[in-house]
Amino acid sequence: MTTTATKTTIEYDDTPVRQFMIASIAWGIVGMLVGVLIATQLAFFQLNFNTPWLTFGRLRPLHTNAVIFAFVGNMMFAGVYYSTQRLVKARTTSKFLSQLHFWGWQAIILAAAITLPLGLTRGKEYAELIWPINIAVALIWVVFGINFFWTLARRNERSLYVAIWFYIATIITVAMLYIVNHLSIPTSLTHSYPIFGGVQDALVQWWYGHNAVAFFLTTPILGIMYYFLPKAAGRPVYSYRLSVVHFWSLVFLYIWAGPHHLLNTSLPRWLQSLGMIFSLMLWAPSWGGMLNGLLTLRGAWDKLRTDPVLKFFVAGVTFYGMATFEGPLLSIRPVNALAHYSDWIIAHVHAGALGWNGFMAAGMFYWLAPRLWNRPLHSVAAANMHFWLGLVGILLYVSSMWVSGITQGLMLSATHENGTVLANPNFLDAVTSTMFLMHIRALGGLMFLAGFIILAWNIWKTASGAQAVNGTVEVFVEEKPRAMGLIGGFANAPVIFITLLIVFAMGWGALPRVASGLCLWAFLGTFMGMIAHKEYTKATWGQWYERLLENALPFTVLTAVSVFVGGIVQIIPTVIIDTAENIEGVRQIPYTPLELAGRDIYVREGCYNCHSQQIRTLVGDVLRYGDYSKMGESIYDHPYQWGSKRTGPDLAREGSKYPNSWHFFHMRDPRQISPGSTMPNYPWLFTDRTDIASLRRKIEVQRKLGVPFKETTQAEIAESCRVQGEAIVADLKTAGAETTPDRQIVALIAYMQKLGKSEVVAPEQKSAHPKTAAK
Amino acid sequence: MFHRILVEEWQRVLTVISFGIFMFTFAVIALRAWRMPREIVRRLENLPLENDTHNHE
Repeated sequence: MTTTATKTTIEYDDTPVRQFMIASIAWGIVGMLVGVLIATQLAFFQLNFNTPWLTFGRLRPLHTNAVIFAFVGNMMFAGVYYSTQRLVKARTTSKFLSQLHFWGWQAIILAAAITLPLGLTRGKEYAELIWPINIAVALIWVVFGINFFWTLARRNERSLYVAIWFYIATIITVAMLYIVNHLSIPTSLTHSYPIFGGVQDALVQWWYGHNAVAFFLTTPILGIMYYFLPKAAGRPVYSYRLSVVHFWSLVFLYIWAGPHHLLNTSLPRWLQSLGMIFSLMLWAPSWGGMLNGLLTLRGAWDKLRTDPVLKFFVAGVTFYGMATFEGPLLSIRPVNALAHYSDWIIAHVHAGALGWNGFMAAGMFYWLAPRLWNRPLHSVAAANMHFWLGLVGILLYVSSMWVSGITQGLMLSATHENGTVLANPNFLDAVTSTMFLMHIRALGGLMFLAGFIILAWNIWKTASGAQAVNGTVEVFVEEKPRAMGLIGGFANAPVIFITLLIVFAMGWGALPRVASGLCLWAFLGTFMGMIAHKEYTKATWGQWYERLLENALPFTVLTAVSVFVGGIVQIIPTVIIDTAENIEGVRQIPYTPLELAGRDIYVREGCYNCHSQQIRTLVGDVLRYGDYSKMGESIYDHPYQWGSKRTGPDLAREGSKYPNSWHFFHMRDPRQISPGSTMPNYPWLFTDRTDIASLRRKIEVQRKLGVPFKETTQAEIAESCRVQGEAIVADLKTAGAETTPDRQIVALIAYMQKLGKSEVVAPEQKSAHPKTAAK
Repeated sequence: MFHRILVEEWQRVLTVISFGIFMFTFAVIALRAWRMPREIVRRLENLPLENDTHNHE
C-alpha cells in the first residue's frame, strides 16, 4: 500500500504555556504564603488578628484550594499544552479556547481568593467553592477538554504516547468527580446545601477528595513526567511496556481507594475493606511508575551533578515513591487508627504536594523557561540554591509533622488500667507537647517558599527583555487511516469475549451455589468459544489493541469505563440504600431553625478544619468522647462535618457536655477556659446578628433533601428563634454572660448544644416516621 | 474492638467482585503490554525525543 505524505511546517502555540507557567508561579507563591501564615497561626494564635477573614478556619481552605487548583492546576495546564502539541505534532486547535481556558481559570481562582476568606463556603474539604464558581469550573474544564480532544483529532502522529493517556484520564475523571461531589441545591446566590448528607456525603466527599489527589495532583503530573523526564535526560523512558501497565493499573485502582479516609468510622465495613485493599494494591503500580521514572536516568546519573532540572525531577519522583509508599501504609486499619486525625496525615500530603508536585513543577519550569524565551536560564547557581533550600524545607516540614502526628496519635489513644482509663485525659496535653514542632514546620514551609521566590526571580530575569518564541517543527502529514469509531472499537471479538469472561468469573465468585456453578460452566464455555473463534478466524487480537492506541475516541471511552466501574460499585449501593433502615439503632433529631443557623455559622468559620464530628470504633476515642458514632446520627447533616483533622477535640457529642456559658467564654477567648489552646478568638460572633431572613429558604431546601422539617412560615421561624435564643440568653445571664438573642454566638451555642442529640429507634420502629424538627 | 453493623448483606460480594475485576483486567493488560511488538515500543518510547526548534539551542 502506498501512502501520500506532504511535508509541512507547524508553529506550536506556546502562548498559553507561558501564561499558565507565570500564573502557576504567582499563585503558587500566594498559596504557599498563606500556608506559612496558617502554619504559624498554629504556634501563635495571635496571628489570627481577631479578624474574620484572617482566621485559620477560613484561610486553610484558601491555602489548599490555591495550592491544588491554582498552583498545580496552572502548572498542569502549562505542561499539557506544551507536551500534547509536540507528542501529536499538531498546534493546539483553538487559540480562542486556549485564552478562554486561561482567563476563565484565573477568574475562578480570583473568585475563590475573595469568597473563601469571606466565609462563603460549601463546607467540604477541597470542595469549598460556592455553587456559581462550581459551575464556572465545570464549564472551563469542558473548554479545556474540547480544545484538547480537538487537537488530538487533528494530530499528525497516529499513536498516542502514554503521557496523552494520562491526560485523557485526568480530563474524564476530574469532570466526573467534580460534578458528582458538587451536586447542590442553592438557597441563595452564595449558599447551597449538598444533595448528599451524613455517611453518603462522607463517602462521596472522599471518593472525590482522594481522587482529586489521584487525578488532579498525580495522573497529569505522571504524564508530564513521562514527557519531560526523557526530554531532560535525553533518553527514552526506561520501559514503555511498564508505563502501559502503570497507566491501566493506576487508573483502575485509584478510584476505589477513597474510603480509606473513613476507616473506623460509621462508613459500612465492606466499603472500609474495599478502600483498604485497593489502597494496598496501589503500591505496585505507583512504585512501578516511580522506578520507571528513576531508571530513565540509567547511564545519565552524572548529569545530576550539573543539571538542576534533573535534580528537581529525580527528587520529585523520589517523593512520589515515598508518598505512594506511605499512602497505602496509612490505609492499613491499625496504622490509620494511630495516624488519622493527626499531623502524620499533614506530613503525608505535604510530601506529595511539596516534594512531588512542587519539585516536578520547578523542574518543568526551569526546563521550559530557556526554551519559551530562547535564552539560557539566568542563574543555574540560583536554581541549585532553590533545590537545596526547598529540599531541606520539605524534610524539616515532613519530619516535624511525622513526629508531631505520631506523638498526637500515641498520646490521645494511650490508656491505663487495662484500657479503661485515658492516660492523657486533657486533649491540650497533645497540643502543648507538639508545639515546638509547629515552629519547625513553619520554618520548613518558609524555606520552601523562599526557594520558590528564587525561582520566580530567576525566571523573571530569564524572560525579561527576551523574545518569546514558539516552537516550530517540520512534519510529514500522512493520509489519516480510517478511524475505528465507537462501534469498531467495542463491537468486536476481543471486547465481547473478555467482557463475558469477566462477568462469568465474577458470578462464579460472588453468586450463591447453583448460580455460581452455572457461571463457572458459562466461563469455561466462553473460554472454549474464544479459543475456537481464534482458530477459525485466525484473528490476531493484538492488532485490535494496537489500533486502539491510535484511536482517541474508543481509547477515551475505555478509560472512562475503567474509572466509572469503581465509582459505580462504591457510590450506587451507598446512595440507594434505605437510610431510614440503616441507622444502627439511633436517629439524629433534626435541628431547630436557630440550631440550623448556628450550624451554618460553624460551617462558615471552617470549624471542621480542626474539629471532627465522628467518634471512631476505637478505645481511645470512646473513652474520650463517648459511644462511637452511629450511621443514623448524622443522616440529616448536609454537608456532613466528620472532618479529617483534630487540632482540637472531637465535637460529635459536645451537646450538654458543658453549660452555655462555657461556650460563650470559650468562643470569646479560648485560653480563658482552656489554657494552652491555639484556637482563634471569635469576637465578631458577639456583635454580628444571626441571619434569620434566609432560614425559610434554607429549611425549604432541607425539606427537599429529605430532612423532616415541618412546613413553616417566616413568622414561625422568627418566633422559634426568638424563644430558643431568649432561653439561652437567660441562662447565660445567670453565669454573668451578657448578650442578646439575635447575636450569632447564641445561634452557635444552640447548635453546639445539639451535637450528639439523637433518639433511640427500636428495630420494629425503624421505618416509622422520624421525629419532626421542633419549630 | 467494636462491632460495626454491616449495611445490607448482599453488599459483601462487592469487595470480591471489585478484586476480581481488577485482577482480570490487570492480567489482560500485563499480557498485552508484554506482547507489544518491539518496533512499536521503540517508536512510541522515542516520541518525546523528537525535536522541534526549541531543542536546537
